[in-house]
Amino acid sequence: MSSIKASDNTPAEREKLFMHLYKKAFPATARYVNKKGGSFEEARDIFQDALVIYYEKLTGSSFVLNVDESSYILGIAKHLWAKSFRQDIRYTPLDNYEFVEFVNEQPSTSMLLHHLETAGQKCMDMLKAFYYDKLPVATIARLFGYSTIHSATVQKYKCLEKVRETVKEKSLTYEDFIE
Amino acid sequence: MRISLNKVEQIDNHLFNRGNTEDKLIFEAMLILDPALKSQVSWQKKTLDFVQHYGRKKIKAEIESVHRQLFNEPAHRCFRDKILSLFK
Repeated sequence: MSSIKASDNTPAEREKLFMHLYKKAFPATARYVNKKGGSFEEARDIFQDALVIYYEKLTGSSFVLNVDESSYILGIAKHLWAKSFRQDIRYTPLDNYEFVEFVNEQPSTSMLLHHLETAGQKCMDMLKAFYYDKLPVATIARLFGYSTIHSATVQKYKCLEKVRETVKEKSLTYEDFIE
Repeated sequence: MRISLNKVEQIDNHLFNRGNTEDKLIFEAMLILDPALKSQVSWQKKTLDFVQHYGRKKIKAEIESVHRQLFNEPAHRCFRDKILSLFK
C-alpha cells in the first residue's frame, strides 16, 4: 500500500498506512541519521515530519510517485536533516517548515488554536476533513452523519463562517490582551 | 442557503480560484467596492491557515501513536530491536 484512496482516508486506514511506511521506510532514515551522528530521537522526529509531508503530497491532487516510496521518504528526511544544519540549529520542528504563517508563533496564535480545539472541535474536524485530508464530500457526509451531500456542504460553510468569526473575534481580543 | 453562507462559499471559490471567468470578474469587482468583503477574505484565509495547522497537529499525533505501538508492543519487538541496535 503506497497510497491512500481519498474515499478510504479514515483514521483506521491512515493507521495501516503509517504502520506500513514506518516498517518499510524508518530503518533507512534511522541508518542515515545515525551515520550523520544523530540520535534515535532525532531520527524519530525527522522521520515523523517526513511522513507528514509525504501524507500531504498523497492527498494533493496532482501527486504521482515515480520512485519507490521509501526512497522518496528518505529523500525528504535527508532534506530536513540538511536544512536543520543550515539553520544552525540541530533540529527545526515542522511548524517552521513550509508554513510561513506560523514561523514565529505568537502567543495569541497558540491561545486561539487551543480555543478552537476545545470549543469548536466538531467544526475543526469537519473543516480538516475537507481542506487538509481533502476527502470527497460523499465520504465526509458519511463520516459526519449527514444524509445528503448538500447538507454536508451547507454544514461545511456554516462551520467555516463560525470558525472565521471566532478567529476574528479572538485574534483581536488576544492581541489586546498580550500587547 | 443563507445569504451569508453564499458569501462564505464565494470567498472559498475565490481563495481556491474556482468558478467561471464571469463569476471571478464579478467577485473582483465586489472586492474593490466593498472593504468589508476584503476583510472577510483575509479572515477566511487566516481560518484556513488554522485548519491546516490543526490538520498537521492531528496527523502528527496519529503518527506518534503508531510509533508508540511499534516501540512498546511485544508484537513488534523484532523491528524495535533492529532500530535500537543502530544507535548502540
